[in-house]
Amino acid sequence: MEIIANYGNVLIILAIIFGTFMAWGIGANDVANAMGTSVGSGAVTIKQAIIIAVIFEFAGAILAGGEVTATIRKGILDAALFTNEPHLLVYGMLASLLAAGMWLLIASSFGWPVSTTHSIVGAIVGFGAVGVGVDAVAWSKVFRIVISWIASPILAGVISFILFRSLQNLIIDTKHPFDNAKKYVPYYMFLVGFIVSLVTIFKGLKHVGVSFDTFTSYSLSIGVGLLVAIIGTFLIRNIHLDPDENKDFYYASMERVFGVLMIITAAAMAFAHGSNDVANAIGPLAAIYSVVDSGGLIGAKSSLPIWVLLVGGTGIVIGLITYGHKVIATIGTGITQLTPSRGFAATLAAAATVVIASGTGIPVSTTQVLVGAVLGVGLARGMAALDTRVINKIFLSWIVTLPAGAFMSILFFFALKGVFGA
Amino acid sequence: MTNKGNISSLFGKSPISPLQQHMKKVHSCIKEFGVFAKAANAEDWDKAQTAQISISDKEHKADKLKKKLRMNLPSTFMMPFSRRDLLDVLLIQDSIANITKDLAGLMMTRRMVFPKEFAEDFINLTGLCIKTSAAALVAINELDELLETAFSSRERKIVDQMIKKINELEHDTDIAQNEIREKLFTLESNLPPVDVMFYYRAIEWLGETADAAQKVGSRFEVMLTK
Repeated sequence: MEIIANYGNVLIILAIIFGTFMAWGIGANDVANAMGTSVGSGAVTIKQAIIIAVIFEFAGAILAGGEVTATIRKGILDAALFTNEPHLLVYGMLASLLAAGMWLLIASSFGWPVSTTHSIVGAIVGFGAVGVGVDAVAWSKVFRIVISWIASPILAGVISFILFRSLQNLIIDTKHPFDNAKKYVPYYMFLVGFIVSLVTIFKGLKHVGVSFDTFTSYSLSIGVGLLVAIIGTFLIRNIHLDPDENKDFYYASMERVFGVLMIITAAAMAFAHGSNDVANAIGPLAAIYSVVDSGGLIGAKSSLPIWVLLVGGTGIVIGLITYGHKVIATIGTGITQLTPSRGFAATLAAAATVVIASGTGIPVSTTQVLVGAVLGVGLARGMAALDTRVINKIFLSWIVTLPAGAFMSILFFFALKGVFGA
Repeated sequence: MTNKGNISSLFGKSPISPLQQHMKKVHSCIKEFGVFAKAANAEDWDKAQTAQISISDKEHKADKLKKKLRMNLPSTFMMPFSRRDLLDVLLIQDSIANITKDLAGLMMTRRMVFPKEFAEDFINLTGLCIKTSAAALVAINELDELLETAFSSRERKIVDQMIKKINELEHDTDIAQNEIREKLFTLESNLPPVDVMFYYRAIEWLGETADAAQKVGSRFEVMLTK
């Protein structure tokens, strides 16, 4: 308790610095993966992608990021075990932030596949199990998270497969694909708006102190869905069939309709990413703040302060502006074979999966979910060539990142213990 | 800190456009043979030589395209068709150029001039073989649309029609080939035997280009059914 009283401010400032650094890293690197499919499909320019990302990453973090933040903050570790030594939780969370941030830097500089989600979860489990005791870890929760890392890309793949097949049947494989695209695309737009807002309203908003009853929630979601569909319909009204562009490729005009849909889906993806990944940076910060703020009380029923979410959202945006735009450009130009119809099916499937994960408070890897979604389109024979070596990389990142994050956080944990005192 | 483990490493280079380019090159090879055959028939050997060199050159370029496509096709690729079928189509396409090159080479070195009785028929057969190869190129060029529709039944029907067209043309070349052989048979006792032997061979090889074009079509069909 004395330690917290003496060093409280220092610890919080450190946590803000480390948390901002992590958020910066997410904005600089992770966001590019989330936006890559949109830019690569050619439907969204790099500039538009950055504007969409800034707005919707931020909105996702603030409006729907609470549930995952709660998991990182108090779901992975059994808080009761820290009642007598609250400062250990503070050290550990600081160590985890530092470890995950460092690991991201190291792995990225070597070009290894990394996931912020895996590093932070590995780090928290690491210091908890070794620094405090095996019992400190809520293993059942950790097990659920790990299962979801396998399940989430598969789920995204199944959704994108079904979504793409529905596009094929309703629009692409018809006599008048362009007309049918204009006819059915608004329904898909509704779907995007509805899913995202439903999860947000049910699970996200309570963390910012807003709550509705079930009926209002559904009504609001339908309202948002309709609004998105109406805006979209208005936008695609100006797209006309151009027989000239269809001479070489019969589906060129149809793809332009999907291009508009893709912009909306890109926004949903950015929102989903913000709602899930920002927690990696601010979950530990929130944990540290609540311990210090309550003067060392664990499990004090303090709600998540908005400023913590703001730190995360701002960090991501700074990362995007300072560095992320370059990575978006690199990745976007690296993905050329993705047409808007494919990009839409894959991105919406990924966004839906990530938003649902955010709603249930499970931290997942957006990039891996997206990989699963694109493979789903590939299974529906929608992609020319996908390199399945990426699947090995995903396994590798699980095997390497978890222990690496754990090992480093243990190291930092004992170092912090040495500096501030046990 | 650029992360190479990013989403773009999931996307491989599409083999579709390289396959189409290869077929286009192969077709330009046999098209050039049309020029060669006419020049040879007119005994304009300078012009024939230019055409023959151009055929060799095009065959060589097609070969390079073939190798490049093969090198860029790791077995880890997940494609909407089997890798084996794609490579088969590529090999058969390539054989059209190979046969054409050999045929032009043979006719050039022997300064082969067909007897007037069927010289015109040979030119016509050449034209038919070029048409058959052109029909195969049309089918291969439909691969973009096939992919866009994710190999839907509607688009497959269009391609079925194209393949039917190739088969019809190939059948026509068979008939034309037989007619020439029959004419040659009635003449052969009055012609130098070695020349006759190579006339038969030239007719056979020319017919083989159309056979190969037909095989491209049928193998392509197999490729689409996955």
